Amino acid sequence: MPRAITPTRTALALTAAAATAAIWGGTSWYAAANDDSAAFAKSRDEVLAAGEQGVQNLQTLDYRDIDDGLATWESSATGDLLTELKGGRADFEKQVKSAKSVTTAKVLSGAVTELDDRAGKASVMVAVRITVDTAKEKPGSKESRILGELTRTDDGWKLSALSEAPVESATGAGQ
Amino acid sequence: MSTTRHLVNRQRRLAAAQSVKEAPARTKRGEPEGDRKPDRDRKPDRKPDRDRKPAAKGTRTRTRPLPWLPILAALTILLGGTAAWGFAKASSLRDTSSTSNTALTDNARTSEVKGTVTKAVDAVFSYDHTKPEQTDTAARTYLTGKAVAQHRELLAQVKSQGKKQKLVLSTTVTYLGVQRLQGDRAQLLVYADQTNTSTVKDGDTSSSAAMFSVSAKRQAGAWKIASINTFDR
Repeated sequence: MPRAITPTRTALALTAAAATAAIWGGTSWYAAANDDSAAFAKSRDEVLAAGEQGVQNLQTLDYRDIDDGLATWESSATGDLLTELKGGRADFEKQVKSAKSVTTAKVLSGAVTELDDRAGKASVMVAVRITVDTAKEKPGSKESRILGELTRTDDGWKLSALSEAPVESATGAGQ
Repeated sequence: MSTTRHLVNRQRRLAAAQSVKEAPARTKRGEPEGDRKPDRDRKPDRKPDRDRKPAAKGTRTRTRPLPWLPILAALTILLGGTAAWGFAKASSLRDTSSTSNTALTDNARTSEVKGTVTKAVDAVFSYDHTKPEQTDTAARTYLTGKAVAQHRELLAQVKSQGKKQKLVLSTTVTYLGVQRLQGDRAQLLVYADQTNTSTVKDGDTSSSAAMFSVSAKRQAGAWKIASINTFDR
């Protein structure tokens, strides 16, 4: 014989179902929030974005607006790279001003090659096309194979090293 | 056991005859438990007068639960809301383009595709005039789709002059990064160095730096280069 269906029983059943769903939803959220690979994937994408933006910033400079340009450079860098930039700033400013150079960069592609999320260290490859326009010469563009290292700071990921991938000759007879 | 059950059932029938107004809930509860705990069952069935009390009580409690309804409804809404919030949070954390890309998060797959593409690029962009068929074999092994025609075009000059100039082109991947990895598809950025030697001109060697991205596809368990992007160069 079926138990009588009263509004209270129906409500109780609904509440129980809702409670089950709430527990399930809560656990699901907790699991997702503590999913290491999801956090790692997020860091990887942050590193790439910061790396590409940083390389773009550090390859862009207009002699007419050198203070802003160099301020942007310094805001994209940290650690050794920042020290280097600050140290060479005066000489560099003079050079850019006398050459009247305008350098722009376009990021073609980028990839994260290494990421240590815990240590806050990462390496990126950023392929860029750099166009240099000086007073004397016609604007010329060249492709550059940039390698960058990033360090996590309180202010997000920043470039701590920057270099161009060296050309290594397979036979040892190259440049 | 069966004797006990039989007895219980008989007693129940008797009890039912005695009190026709027995609460249906009682009868139901008595049945499944009757098998295991007959003596517990016996008590309510035997005393129909006692049974009437809970029934009367039942009607009274039926008026009492009514104020509970809004409370239960509110609880249901609250818990339902919590559930919805939890699921929404979880899915927003999980179903992002970040998580669908398993480059670096899936270590095994990442190094697998890196390894194969490195080998593939080294092989298909190398040419030796003494064994030109090696390049073709590599192309058949490692290339698929659009990449086949792109490769033919990129190596056309080397191949046409290869014999005459006694060319040896060797390509070495120096840096490689997986940009995107999703199931059987991947996108990689490649830095490679190329050395071009012409033995005719007394070992005239030139080195050049190359950068390009490739898309890779996993076919029958093996990664193959599906397209090459030289950034419009």
